[in-house]
Amino acid sequence: MSNSPSFRKGIRDGLIMVIPVAAFALAYGVLAVDAGLSPALTIFSSLVIVSGAAQFTMIGLLAAGPVPVLVAASGLGLRHLPMSAKLADMIGPQPLGTRLRLAWVLVDETFGLAVRAAYTGVADIVAYKSAADLILYSFWMAGTTVGALFGGSIDPETVGIAVLFPLLFLGLAAPMVHKRRDWIVAGAAVVATLVATLVLPPAWQITGAATVAALVGVGFHE
Amino acid sequence: MSDLHLILAVGAVTFATRIAFLLRPRPIPGGLVGRFLDVFPLALFVAIAAQGLLAPRGTPEVTPALAAAVGGIVGGILFRRNLWGVLAVGAVSFYVARALFT
Repeated sequence: MSNSPSFRKGIRDGLIMVIPVAAFALAYGVLAVDAGLSPALTIFSSLVIVSGAAQFTMIGLLAAGPVPVLVAASGLGLRHLPMSAKLADMIGPQPLGTRLRLAWVLVDETFGLAVRAAYTGVADIVAYKSAADLILYSFWMAGTTVGALFGGSIDPETVGIAVLFPLLFLGLAAPMVHKRRDWIVAGAAVVATLVATLVLPPAWQITGAATVAALVGVGFHE
Repeated sequence: MSDLHLILAVGAVTFATRIAFLLRPRPIPGGLVGRFLDVFPLALFVAIAAQGLLAPRGTPEVTPALAAAVGGIVGGILFRRNLWGVLAVGAVSFYVARALFT
């Protein structure tokens, strides 16, 4: 698989995630240790959870106890359900090991790259996503480790790296906008997100806004 | 519950949502569900971008990230399939706005 053109394209395309992912992971490493997790547990959490949103929420609610953390993690995880269904449709029948591996790193970034790859005609989505997952996971772990062990003197916010993360998703959305329905869905997502930030808890904002906007798209006939 | 157990529990909850439809893959039905899944990725990506650029501190506000949003949209129109182009135009817009207005 590692010699296939799709895998090599996944590596090349995955490099675009390096700076935002490493910066995000670095910030997580710093803040998790600051919140009271040991450096070893901080690194372990990135190894087993592999979700920036869930991990930041976990350390933010650490003092509140396990129930709020697990409720918030469930809310954040809801958006994985349609992602999982979409990915299953894109990859078709695959061995169990392959499906488990792809699910382990089913994160917004590599899912986005995989959907974009499917739109642009990449032949082997499994190889492509595996390569992008490898890049993401490597830099997620490296960033967390550096942040947890040496992060006290680093502040990603001051250099403005945080803005690259949402820009990455704007770039992932761009090739999906073709029809009038797509523009309406994108506009609905912006409005729904702004409303969600005012009325929903942080853990439910993205999932809620994306669901409402997708339902607007479902109701729109061309 | 110890921190280790909490991490394992969050990992289990997260993985359960990820594997849900991959464990027993079935073709996506047509109709409403199919149409929903067809547009959900676009809605999700725009929602993530909108939250980060228009409400970077949790509520809507005007910050240099708004310039990144405008630049990113222009970059998306100019470089539709070139992710680096979108990032570059958005990032340059952000840094220029930050230098001018903060």
